[in-house]
Amino acid sequence: MVLRDPYIPATIIEINQLTENIREYCVKLDKSIDPEPGQFAMIWIPKVGEIPISFADWICEEKIAVFVIARVGKVTGYIQENFKTGSKMYVRGPLGRSFTIREGAKCLLMGGGYGLAPLYYLAKKLLEKKCRLKIILGFKNGSDVFYVNKFRVLGDTEISTEDGKIGVRGTLIDVLEKVMNSERYDMVYACGREELLIKIALICNAKNTPLEVSMERLIKCGQGVCGTCVIEPSGLLVCRDGPVFDGKILLEIKNHSSENFTRSIKIVCRGASDAK
Amino acid sequence: MLNKPCTVDMKVCLKSLHLINPTVLTSGVLGVSYSLMKRVEEAGAGAITTKTITKEPREGYWNPVFVDLGYGYVNAIGLRNPGVDVFREEIRRAKKIIRIPIIGSVGGRDLDEFVYVAEEMLEAGCDSLELNLSCPHVSGYGGDIGSDVELTSKIIKEVKSISEKPVSAKLSASHAKKNFIEKYIDAGIDIIAAINTLRAMVVNIDSMTPVLSNIVGGLSGPCIRPIALAVIYDIHREFPDIPLIGVGGVEDWMSAVEMILVGASAVGIGSAIAKKGLSIFKEIVKGLEKYMEEKGFRSVKDLTGYIHRN
Repeated sequence: MVLRDPYIPATIIEINQLTENIREYCVKLDKSIDPEPGQFAMIWIPKVGEIPISFADWICEEKIAVFVIARVGKVTGYIQENFKTGSKMYVRGPLGRSFTIREGAKCLLMGGGYGLAPLYYLAKKLLEKKCRLKIILGFKNGSDVFYVNKFRVLGDTEISTEDGKIGVRGTLIDVLEKVMNSERYDMVYACGREELLIKIALICNAKNTPLEVSMERLIKCGQGVCGTCVIEPSGLLVCRDGPVFDGKILLEIKNHSSENFTRSIKIVCRGASDAK
Repeated sequence: MLNKPCTVDMKVCLKSLHLINPTVLTSGVLGVSYSLMKRVEEAGAGAITTKTITKEPREGYWNPVFVDLGYGYVNAIGLRNPGVDVFREEIRRAKKIIRIPIIGSVGGRDLDEFVYVAEEMLEAGCDSLELNLSCPHVSGYGGDIGSDVELTSKIIKEVKSISEKPVSAKLSASHAKKNFIEKYIDAGIDIIAAINTLRAMVVNIDSMTPVLSNIVGGLSGPCIRPIALAVIYDIHREFPDIPLIGVGGVEDWMSAVEMILVGASAVGIGSAIAKKGLSIFKEIVKGLEKYMEEKGFRSVKDLTGYIHRN
C-alpha cells in the first residue's frame, strides 16, 4: 500500500514475556526504515494513542523491529492487554539522534531496568565496528532481570540486583565504581532512570571519560516543534536534539521551570512513562 | 527601482515594536520555555511569540498531535500550556536573558479571561500581545471567539485599554474580512497577524481511522502559503497603514519575499522548523538581504507591499 502519512503499518509476529511487567514485541514493518542505535519510533495505536519507544533491535533483511514495552500507562497497558501475534500497530520513525560509534573503541554499556533495551541494538552495532564491550546491567529485584543472556553473547556482562538474588547485591553504580577504578574506557553509554544517569555522569566526568546517555521526557510531536520535551537549562529537545546526548547535559540539569511547566499540568517531567 | 545600495536595512517596525529583522517565531512553536526562546533568539529571529497562554493550565490532547504529510502539517496540540500564573515566571526569566521582543500570545474563552491573561503577560514583561482569535481545533477558544466580531472588538478594546504595548490580532483566513478588520481597527488593534492554521484532518485508510486523537486539527506548511498570500494581499490593499505579520507556509527566503511583496512587514516562521530546524531564521534573513541588495531595495519597508504599487 502507498503510504499517504508517516505511519508505516507493522504486524506483530512474536511476543515474549520478559518479566511480569515487560514484554518484547517483534514487529514486521511494511517498509524498511533502517534505524541507528539510540533512535526511537513513535508507535501509534489507532484510537488509543501514540508513544515513543527506542529500537531494541532491527533486523534489516526482514524489516523486523524489536520493541521492549513495559506496562506503565494507558497505551502500554492497552498493548499488553489486547495485542497478540498478528495485531497491527503503526510506526513513525526512526526519529532523533543516535549514539556515536567509534571503530575499535573499548566501550562500557550501562543500563538500568527496562530502559536498557536500546543498548542491545547498540551493542550489536558496536561489535560490527570491532569494539570491545563491557556491559553492566542493574535491576531492582531478581524477578526484574531480562535480556542478560542476550547481552552475554555480545560481551563481558555483570549484573546487579538490589535484593541480591542475581549478580552483585546493590545498584549498578556500585559495579560501575569498581569497574572504572580498575579499567579505562574510551566511551561509556548509559540508559535508565535520570537519577541513575546523573550519578553515572558525575563518575564519568571525574574520570574524564566520554559518556553518552539516552534521555526521556514526555514526547508529543516528535519533530522538534511543540517544545514539550525540552531539557532545561539548555533548551535542547529530546525528540530532535536527542534522545542521545553528551553526558555533560546531566551535570547542568537543575530543578528548572520546565518542570513547573509540566508539573502544573499534572505530568511529571520525567514521565514519558506517564503517557505510556 | 532604486540605485543599488551598499547596505540593506533589515530592521522593521510594527508600530512601537522594533525588530532587528522581519522574522518572527509564530505562536504554538517552541515558545514554551525561557531556554527555548533563548535558542530561537540565538538562531537569529527578530521576535518571539510565546505559546498561547490561558488562565488555567491546559494539558492539551493525547498523541498523535502532529502529522507531517510532506506537503504540509496537521496539528492538534490543544493549546497545551501551564496557565498564566506559572508562565509569567517563564517570561520574567526570559526577559532577563533575551533582548529581542517577546510577543505574548493570549488565549481565552471570554472577555474576562483575555483581559486577565493579557494583564498578567504585560506585568511579566511581554513587549507586545497577540490575541489568539483563530486556533481552529479547541472548542470555545481561538476561532470560536474570532467568529464573533462584536465580542472580538470588545476584547480588543478592553485589552488595549490596559496595554501601552502594541496589541495584534491573530486571524484565521476565514475571518480576515474587510468588515471584521474595520471594526478591529476602530477598537484600536495595532497589528494583524494572519493566517492561523486551517481546520483540517488526516485519515489513515489502512486503519480506517482519523490519525489525530482530536480527529481535527489545523493545517500549516507550504500548502497553505497561497491562501496566506491572498489574505495578506487583501488586507494590505484595504488597510495599507496597519502593519501585518504574514504567517502561513513560510519555509525559505523566497516565501518570505512573497509574503513581504504582498504586504507583510514581518513574516512568521512556524512548522517549517520541523523540516529545517532553527537554522531557518538565519537562512531567511541572509537570503532576503541578498535579494534586496540585488533588487536595489534599501529597507524591508520599501519592499513591503511592492506588488500593490507597481
